[in-house]
Amino acid sequence: MNIENRFQQISQSDFNTPDSDTFLINLHGERQRRYQKKMGIVNGLAAASVLFVLSLVTFNQLTDDPTVYASNDFKKIEVMDSETEEYVYDLAGYLVENSDDIWETLAFLDNIEFEPVATMNDGETQ
Amino acid sequence: MKTDHELIREFQNGNNIAFDELVKRHLPNTYGFFIKFTADEVEAEDLAQDVFIKMFKALKKFRFESEFKTYLFRANINMSNTYLRRNKWRNLLHLDQVPDQGYTDTTHEDEWRRKELWDAVAKLPSRQRMVVTMRIAQVMPYKEISEIMGISENSAKVNYHHAVKALKENIEN
Repeated sequence: MNIENRFQQISQSDFNTPDSDTFLINLHGERQRRYQKKMGIVNGLAAASVLFVLSLVTFNQLTDDPTVYASNDFKKIEVMDSETEEYVYDLAGYLVENSDDIWETLAFLDNIEFEPVATMNDGETQ
Repeated sequence: MKTDHELIREFQNGNNIAFDELVKRHLPNTYGFFIKFTADEVEAEDLAQDVFIKMFKALKKFRFESEFKTYLFRANINMSNTYLRRNKWRNLLHLDQVPDQGYTDTTHEDEWRRKELWDAVAKLPSRQRMVVTMRIAQVMPYKEISEIMGISENSAKVNYHHAVKALKENIEN
């Protein structure tokens, strides 16, 4: 069969157009499905971006050196920085001054081996 | 009866029924184009569906610079190019599906010949492929082809002539 005959055969082939109402139902159904899929991807990406930014901000707020905050919990009270030390002393002072039962508070501070209390027990002042 | 442009304007103003009316109006032509291309009802319907889904989005920004029919036909041509490219890869990956030479079922033989022709069309340069597709699938006059492609009528004829020559060499040898 030569090429022109093939062209003719294809162009003259009969076909039945699908029912337009069914076609439209399928069309809008598929359109909705694709839209929802697209929105799912967009929402996923947005959530991932927010998480990324949030974790980056949190990470930066902690400290520049992760080994510092990672090991902080295991440090002894003696090696606290001066700011924290001052805060702890103030907190202890507040507890002593405002407690209903000063002996109970002192016992608590003694329990946690808070150094100034131990010193006070020896009759010395800070 | 409302014109295509009137329906598009209504659709742009939020009336989706106008879009449905457009689809109903142009479905026979679009489906007809793809059925000649694929010889497969399901595949032709899928391709037509893809084109109209793209239209749903694209028509919101339609600028009324050309006829909707021309605009839709360009979309059909683009979709057919995508289909041909996809098919080319599919054929490369399924070389074992070449039919037996002694096969006598004429229905399948016709289908195979059609497939062979479109595979050869897929190998043509873009402009020749477009002209020959419009001639085969829509029996479109050169004047209309030239308007759709934005080329002269003579250029459309020359491209068709080169395309047929290349197809002859590709298939008949």
